[in-house]
Amino acid sequence: MAYLIFSITLMLVYIGLAQLLHIQFGMLGIPNFGIVGFWGLGMYSVGVLNVQWDFSFIPALILTLLLVALVANGLGRLILKLEGQAMLCATLAFSAIVALLVITEKWLTEGVVGLGTIKYPFDAGAMTEPLYFLILLLIVVGIQLFINKLHVSRLGTLIFSIRDNEELAASLGKDTVKIKLELFTLTCALMGLLGALSAPLNQFLTPNMLVPSVTFAVWIALILGGKEHSMGAVLGVFITFGLFDLLIESYLPVAPEYAVMVPNFKLFLYGAVLVAVLMYRPRGVLGHSAAGARQELP
Amino acid sequence: MMLNVNGLSSGYGDVTVLEDITFCVESEIFTVLGANGAGKTTLLKTLAKLLPVKSGTVEWRGETITDMPPYELPSRGMAYVPQEGNVFPDLSVAENLSIGGLLDLPSREERLSEVYELFPRLVDRSEQLAGSLSGGEGQMLAVGRALMQRPEIILFDEPSAGLSPQFVDTLFQKILEIREKQNVTIVLAEQNAVKALEIADRVLVLSLGKIHLLEDARDFDKNRLMEAYHI
Ligand SMILES: Nc1ncnc2c1ncn2[C@@H]1O[C@H](COP(=O)(O)OP(=O)(O)OP(=O)(O)O)[C@@H](O)[C@H]1O
Ligand SMILES: [Mg+2]
Repeated sequence: MAYLIFSITLMLVYIGLAQLLHIQFGMLGIPNFGIVGFWGLGMYSVGVLNVQWDFSFIPALILTLLLVALVANGLGRLILKLEGQAMLCATLAFSAIVALLVITEKWLTEGVVGLGTIKYPFDAGAMTEPLYFLILLLIVVGIQLFINKLHVSRLGTLIFSIRDNEELAASLGKDTVKIKLELFTLTCALMGLLGALSAPLNQFLTPNMLVPSVTFAVWIALILGGKEHSMGAVLGVFITFGLFDLLIESYLPVAPEYAVMVPNFKLFLYGAVLVAVLMYRPRGVLGHSAAGARQELP
Repeated sequence: MMLNVNGLSSGYGDVTVLEDITFCVESEIFTVLGANGAGKTTLLKTLAKLLPVKSGTVEWRGETITDMPPYELPSRGMAYVPQEGNVFPDLSVAENLSIGGLLDLPSREERLSEVYELFPRLVDRSEQLAGSLSGGEGQMLAVGRALMQRPEIILFDEPSAGLSPQFVDTLFQKILEIREKQNVTIVLAEQNAVKALEIADRVLVLSLGKIHLLEDARDFDKNRLMEAYHI
């Protein structure tokens, strides 16, 4: 039971990351391949503040949010004017730098030895983990409501216009760089928040948590679910993380003698589903929300 | 004096395309002609501030706009209709028209009905995605959207490109109508010299990024155009 709660709480973290990537890439067209960098920065920032400098959790969380926002804003100023592929490389490089700093700056992060223990911000006995799950659920629902609102708002239309043709949007009187920078900063800071909240979940932080496969898992989920659809992130993570990692890997009722085959079988099925979806629904399972689905402009 | 361009040079990165361009546009239809690659698009993009000015100045209604970012221009009465990619394909026709959002709601509604009156074909397609419009409809939409800004000047980059001759006639008729009924200044870059000359007041001919000729449309000698094209 404890493992199940831990797993679905972790799944919520991935849903949150995929939702934020939906805003960045699906809506704005910013290919952020540095997700693990923002998430990891948030996680380690809370860890360092909490363990090394004895900050209690909430102040550490607030400082972390500010730190990640600041870093994202600085990075955004550098990269948001670049072409797509350059942005992709730059964000990927950013996450590699974060991972590298965590290893080399031992005085701060304990390096490869690892940093811990980070406790939950409250102690409710056996209810601690379920309560923590609820907090993350609230955040994810909050982000989803924000996305739904964004899709039908004037700001949403403006965002889609920037993705379609930024130059044209600028010549229609929109400060497109500013809008992109603000949304990039906000969404990256929220990725940092999810990282910060992952710290007590993991309790003990090591640099090998900051691998690019975190970024790729979020990307695969979003592309699979439908990057342009408001619910694509949620559905995508349900399929990748929920169905494959959780259900098949941990809860599929198989006889013990076949259990060793499950991971391979899972990978095989995972690959097959991915290929099938990309072949038959290249815009993801949910496709994209057509203009008709959006409300009339006010 | 409306638009005043003085000693303008511009281009892409280190490449200079336009050199020492000087002219001014009054309240008129000002046509920019030139062969492929002469620099018409580069000129209009520079005026719309989408390309940086390398040297020289651009003045609009007495205000220097040389170093102004592009998004400052619509509120100053300038609209730009690019040659390519001039609609948002993933937005509906109605959304494309209202995206500028310079006007308050009542005047926007009023303006929208004027645009629909000018281009009735857009009415039935108002909910359709702009990406699925035909070339001609897309061009109408782009012109309509420029009008939604209630501009004092519109920079048109080759509106006739890819349209049937019959439709070009209609479109140019509309442009003339906009000019005459709404007193909008028009800067029109065109390949189609014959059509453009029918409605032009003055003509600027570009050749390899330099001014080849600048004169009244009435005095215009087509042979001089040939010279410019055959360099
Ligand atoms: N992005 C770019 N980078 C470098 N050079 C460019 C770029 N775009 C255009 N050019 C060059 O600038 C010159 C002028 O091009 P421009 O597009 O302004 O011509 P044009 O008169 O609009 O031609 P057309 O009638 O074909 O549209 C050409 O030599 C072209 O190769
Ligand atoms: Mg051109």
